[in-house]
Amino acid sequence: MPDPWEDPSEEIKDLLESMQKKFQGGFKFNWGLIAAVVLVLLAGIGALSAAYTVQPQEKAVVLRFGRFVGTSGPGIHFKIPFGVDTAIKVPTERVLQEEFGFRAQGVKGARTTYEEKAFKEESLMLTGDLNVADVEWIVQYKVSDPKKFLFNTRDVRKNLRDVSQSVLRRVVGDREVGSVLTTARAEIAEEAHRIMQEVLDRYDMGVRIITLKLQDVNPPESVRPAFNEVNSAKQEQEKLINEAEREYNRVIPEARGKAAQELAKAEGDATQVVNRAKGDADRFKSVLQAYRTAPRVTRTRLYLETIEEVYGRFKEMTIVDKGVQGLLPVFDARGAGAKP
Amino acid sequence: MNERRIVQTGIAAAVLLFAFRLTAYRISEWEQAIITQFGKPVGGAITKPGLHFKLPDPIQKTHRLDKRILNWDGFPNQIPTKDKKYIWVDTTARWRIKDPLLFIQTVRDEDGARSRLDGILDAVTRDVISGHNLVEAVRNSDRIIGVIAERNKAAEEMGEEPETSGTLEKIAVGREKISEMIIEKARKGLGEFGIEIIDVQMRRIAYEASVEAKVFDRMVSERQRIAERIRSFGKGERAKIMGKISRDLQEIQSKAYEKAEGIRGDGDGKAIRIYAGAMNSDPDFYEFLRTLEAYKKALPQDTRLILSTESKFLELLRKR
Repeated sequence: MPDPWEDPSEEIKDLLESMQKKFQGGFKFNWGLIAAVVLVLLAGIGALSAAYTVQPQEKAVVLRFGRFVGTSGPGIHFKIPFGVDTAIKVPTERVLQEEFGFRAQGVKGARTTYEEKAFKEESLMLTGDLNVADVEWIVQYKVSDPKKFLFNTRDVRKNLRDVSQSVLRRVVGDREVGSVLTTARAEIAEEAHRIMQEVLDRYDMGVRIITLKLQDVNPPESVRPAFNEVNSAKQEQEKLINEAEREYNRVIPEARGKAAQELAKAEGDATQVVNRAKGDADRFKSVLQAYRTAPRVTRTRLYLETIEEVYGRFKEMTIVDKGVQGLLPVFDARGAGAKP
Repeated sequence: MNERRIVQTGIAAAVLLFAFRLTAYRISEWEQAIITQFGKPVGGAITKPGLHFKLPDPIQKTHRLDKRILNWDGFPNQIPTKDKKYIWVDTTARWRIKDPLLFIQTVRDEDGARSRLDGILDAVTRDVISGHNLVEAVRNSDRIIGVIAERNKAAEEMGEEPETSGTLEKIAVGREKISEMIIEKARKGLGEFGIEIIDVQMRRIAYEASVEAKVFDRMVSERQRIAERIRSFGKGERAKIMGKISRDLQEIQSKAYEKAEGIRGDGDGKAIRIYAGAMNSDPDFYEFLRTLEAYKKALPQDTRLILSTESKFLELLRKR
């Protein structure tokens, strides 16, 4: 067997030379030479088509006359040439992404054209209370089994898109618009993920969903202001309540303090009254004790001292004898109330 | 002699190769085939992948068919539901050629199959959807009713507006069942074409445009109702707090008055008892003493006094 890697131009040169010889020496084929040439050419072509390289993110599925014989991982591999074996490379390590309700700009701009219609069709869906929500989401997936991926369904991507839309609508259809828009996001994504994988497994598609994530979830465009109004009403409500609480806080603690002040004052008053009474009583007792030692003298002395003090204060004094009559009308009645 | 051998081998190889190319055919993993002889199918379907042989082309022909799951994509259909709501329903289906021979005989190829699928699935979808209320195609369970009831109860306790008003109707079959019914009905019609229907998915259900506008209007008014209720609730809360302020204020002030007066009264009482206790030991002397004190305090200064000689003070004067 000649070396298949030998330079073919050498061969051709040889061939031409020998042909020339043949023509010079009369027309006679050298069959052996032709056979050799044919074999060399075939071997060259065969060797070239036998080798194939599998990239790190890929796996290759090898078919012999169309029948599956095995898969091969990254690296350089050889197969039987001349169309006996075919190797189909599948990107098993790459994470593929599908978008629903929107399309990423830029790198993925060169996608098939039928998707360039209004994406609202994908994202508007009915909720369980027959309202409409605008839900955008993505699905990321990987080829988990290249054999199933190639042999079990014809259009994996389309199936995936159809199923994802159907499943998400089913999950959203079991919830009311309020929770779809707010609290149930994670729950919806999780449930849709699970059901989607179940359905795809039923098709035995060889695909594993890695994540299903909800992106923007909104009320439909024309309803959005009304939803915002609810939010602003909530703010307003809180504002009113806060204001009232503020008023409460302004008034009540102060009133409590004032009440405490009032009590303290009353306590002070009471103490004062009692203490004064005690003082007065003590004084009286002391005086009484002393008085009892000489009651008559003391009584007289006290009386006279008082009279002295009191009368001493008057500006003028008129002493009227019993015999004098009709004098009273002369005086102003003011000074007349004296003790007899 | 040697040259002749080579020529003979060469020719034999060429002939064999030619014969091989005429008679051999390959079936890939995703294919199946029917062999026809002058247009008439011979033998069963070839489903095993690999190398196969037949008589050369003009006599026997291969008809390759797909073995994989195939898609069918319906046109969105406008269908009235049983409760007279107009909706767009967009269905897709997955199917497979189950009986290649029957398939070839009845529909020839995938295009033929597609037109049958169009006819049957569209009709079946229309039948099933229009035979049920809208909710049946939207919801899959009655879970939402419980959730809403619970939420409304909680909201009621909080004095808030329930998000959804009214009652949601219960479903009798549900979305998955609707799909199954479509599959079931379609399966009957498609069996005779050698087609197996694997599933039908309702990819999209949407309100018809004019209905949609009304739904949006309703959603708007519903939100406005909720917003108004929320605002009003806020005002009510404020009024409650204001009421609480005046109540608490009155309470605090009057309590303080009550306590203060009590304390003062106690003090006064105590004082009276103390006075009485002391004075009672000699009421007469107390009266005397206190009267003198009262004179001192009560009689004004710088005034004029008229005294009768009869007074006790002047007794001594008189006696002289």
